[in-house]
Formats: sequence, structure tokens, C-alpha cells
Amino acid sequence: MSSTNLGLLIFRERISAARMMVIWPLLAIFILLSSWGLSDPKASLPAEIVVDSAYDVMFTSTAFIIFSATLGAVLISFDGISRDRISGVLEVKLSQPMKRSTYAKSLILGHWGAIFVPVCILNIISIFVIWYRMGELPSIEELFIHTLGTALLLLWYTTIQLLSSSLARDMGSSIAIGIGAWMLFTLLWLIVTTVVAGLSGVGVENLNSPEYIRIEGIIDLFSPNGVYHHLLEMPLDDIDRGISPLYISTAAIAWSIIPIQLFIKRIERLKP
Amino acid sequence: MEPILNLRNVTWRHKIRDYSSWKPWAKRDGAGIYQIDLEVKSGTILGIVGPNGAGKTTLIRVICGLYDCDGFDKPESYRRKFIGYMPEQVRWEGRTSVRNALSTIAEMRASFIDVDKLLETVGLYSRSEDMMDNLSQGMRQRMSLACALMGNPEVIVMDEPLNGLDPLAQRAFTNLMKQLAKKGVSIIISSHAVSDLETLADRIALMHHGQILIEGTLSDIREKLDLEDDSDIVEMICAVTGIEPDDITLEVSQESLLPLRKIGGEEE
Repeated sequence: MSSTNLGLLIFRERISAARMMVIWPLLAIFILLSSWGLSDPKASLPAEIVVDSAYDVMFTSTAFIIFSATLGAVLISFDGISRDRISGVLEVKLSQPMKRSTYAKSLILGHWGAIFVPVCILNIISIFVIWYRMGELPSIEELFIHTLGTALLLLWYTTIQLLSSSLARDMGSSIAIGIGAWMLFTLLWLIVTTVVAGLSGVGVENLNSPEYIRIEGIIDLFSPNGVYHHLLEMPLDDIDRGISPLYISTAAIAWSIIPIQLFIKRIERLKP
Repeated sequence: MEPILNLRNVTWRHKIRDYSSWKPWAKRDGAGIYQIDLEVKSGTILGIVGPNGAGKTTLIRVICGLYDCDGFDKPESYRRKFIGYMPEQVRWEGRTSVRNALSTIAEMRASFIDVDKLLETVGLYSRSEDMMDNLSQGMRQRMSLACALMGNPEVIVMDEPLNGLDPLAQRAFTNLMKQLAKKGVSIIISSHAVSDLETLADRIALMHHGQILIEGTLSDIREKLDLEDDSDIVEMICAVTGIEPDDITLEVSQESLLPLRKIGGEEE
């Protein structure tokens, strides 16, 4: 009666779900094609982005991971609880002797695995794409940071999505909450950053000013995508937004612990 | 016979949103169950009958440990381990196979569960590799029954299990219940019709507005209420509450719980 065994069963069920037929091509297009395109020596990128190493390609292509993989996490987990709740299966599951906290951990593990494994496989293939195009491989340290960051990002989105699925009483609300959270962090966070910067007296006319970059770095600690980028920037010498690695690590730990604990508490109190 | 589970003064109310309050999170007590006393004896079948909204499902969920509640002689951990629960009309669905779905539930129990044996018991062995989306309502009921039978429970609690079953499946189902009771398993079964439980239940508890109005063998209840042998739930409730059958309307009371009444309708 361990969370790992049940998590593996949930993983198996989710990875064989029909929606994976949409998620796999979506991920493949975004992750593989971005690696292929960005590793082209003749590629000219906007906003003076310079890509001259394997890790630079991986770092820049995370913009596409943020867009596709996090959406994949939402698509896999949006009905993680609500579907069972509506069908009545949740009643059967919650009446079993397994501790509810263990069940909650299994749900997180199974759903997270169902998005992390495909992303990880495609990331490995993309490393070979980069190697083929540039003749260069990222270092072990860079690979570790990239994989850890991606794993954490997907964990955060999965947990937030499962939490919203447990709050929703119907499928529509569950999708709305999930997509809403995804849009906030992926598409609308720039607006939040700009508003906070404006209210703090920092000019928003020049987005490259040191003051704006610093406040953007601080605001990013409150967004999973922002913390992900902070983590990935750690091995890069030419990027420094003035945020201490201690704050970044603390934010990453907080983003990992708080939603998981909230989800466990929610499952413990859940009425079918 | 030895009582295997005792309920004394069990009360549980649903929390519902309080729209009269300025606080959006404010909740108040809603419908539920009130001062329930029950004794579940080993190897017997107890029928809980009552109309819609009587509190049968709430009582069953409380017994199974889904709602945290005092008043039991056995702790919640024991009840979750030794009580098998079959909810009403579970819609098993998805692209996963019957065997895998059952294995997932079996993984939530501490002891080893022989999934193949369970599938044989409920007659789903030949469909064990079918996707759950392809199951009929009757087969879905069997899936739920298989979950209730996991881990050799001492008590099996079933919420309106005969709903949606054809007469043949109903007969097969009641035969299985009788066999289990003969083996010493206690069964609690809810229904909104006395006729469903006529030949099955050893004792009947009549529920209305969250309370048990009367409990005993069916013949005793009919004798006490001075009712005919074919009387059903309407006649029983009318006899207890003093309402005339012709006065029954679709009107729903604002009060979630009515005062307890003695036989004949007098308030206690």
C-alpha cells in the first residue's frame, strides 16, 4: 500500500489515455523543432538573443517547453479528481483503507510522471538534435539543472491543476480553473510584472533597464515559470538579474511544498 | 447473534453555503442524519428503506468512514478496512481495462487481493481485458460489487445496488448476498422500496428526514403499524407520521430535519 505502486498504476493509466495522442505530437513539435531551429548556426533571433552553445539552445528552447509541456500538464491533470468525483469512483477509492495523504501523493506522482516522461524523452532526443547540428553537447551540470528545473516546473503545474480539479464540482469549472492558472503564469504574467513595476515607481518604458530587470526578477519568484527560468539561468554567466541563488532555491522549495501540502490537506478533507 | 457494529446517537449534518451571511465562506448545517441508533449483527442482512432524501446515502457514507463522525463502537480505521462499500450507480469509464481498474483499487488495500478470483466471483472474468467504456450498467454494478468484496470484509454496505439491474441480474445479485450472509458476512443494503428487500433482508430500518422511524423484522414492523402484508414504504411512513396518503405532495420542507415522532404521528 505505497504511494509509489499506486502512482505507477495511475501513471500507466494516464500515459495510455486518448489525450496523449494530442499531447505527444504537440510536445514533439515544440521541443524537437525548437531545438532544430535554434541550433541552426545561421539562425538570427529577435531581441538580440545570442545562441552560441548547446546549453544556450536548451535554455532558449525552454520558452517552448513552458508553452507546450505546462499545457500538457494541464491537459493530463485537469480531471484527475473531478472525473472520478462525477462518476462516483472517488467514493470507492476514498472508502479504501489507504491513508488519504498517501493517495494524494500517488495522484501527484502518477500525473506528474505522465507528462514528465514524454518531455524527458523528447529532451534527450533534442540533445542529439543539438549535437547533430552544432557538434556540441551540454555539460553534465547543465543537463542536471535543465532536467531538475523541468521536473519541478511540471510538478508545480500538475499539483496546481490537481488542486483545482479537487476544488471543482464539474468538469467545466475544472478546465476553467486550470486553463486560467496556466494563462496567468504563461501569458499574463508580463502584465502583472508591468503593473507592479509601475506601482513601485519603476519606469516601464524601457524593459531592459536594470531597475525593471531587478523587479521582474523579484516578481518572477512568485510564478512557477519565473522560478523555472531563474533556475535555468544559474549556470549562465552572462545573465544576472540580481536575485540571490538562496532566494531562488527558497522559492523553488516553497513552490514544491506549499501546493503539495494544500493538495494533501484538500484530499484529507474531501467529501465525495 | 453477535453485534459486529454498533451505532449510538450518530448525528452528521451536511454543511451548505449560507447565502444569508455576508461572508462568502459561511456555511450552515443542512440535511443529514440525526440520532441514529443501529445494531449490525453478524451474518444478517439489514435493509435501510426510505424515500429520496431520507438520509440513506449519508448514513451509509458515515458507516463506511467517508464522513468523519462519532458514535461507533469501532474506529474509522477499522471500518475502512473491514467494511466493503458499494456506492450507488458508479459510472466506471475510461480506456483502462477492467482488470487494471480493479488492480488500482486493490493497491489501495494493505493486504494482497486476488483480482482474478474477484473477477470470477462477480462474473466479469471473461470481460477482464475489456475497456471500461464498453461495459454495460449491469457490468459496472458488478465492478462496484467486486470493489466491495475486496479484502474479505466483515460487513458489506450497498447503496441501492439493485437500481439499473434487470430482473435476472437482480436475482443473481440477491442470491450472492444470501450466500455471503450464510458465510457470516453482515450486509447493509439501502433501497427506496420495501418490495426490493422483502425476501432478502432479515431486518428493516425505515428512514425519513434523517431519522430512523422504526426498526425490526418486516413482519414485526407491519404488525406494529397495523399494516397489510403487501404494504410498502408509503403506507409505513404514513402510519408512523400520521400523514394521509392523499395528502402527500411534492412540496419539500425548508427544515432539513423534522421532529422525531412516535408511531401515530405524535411528536416526541
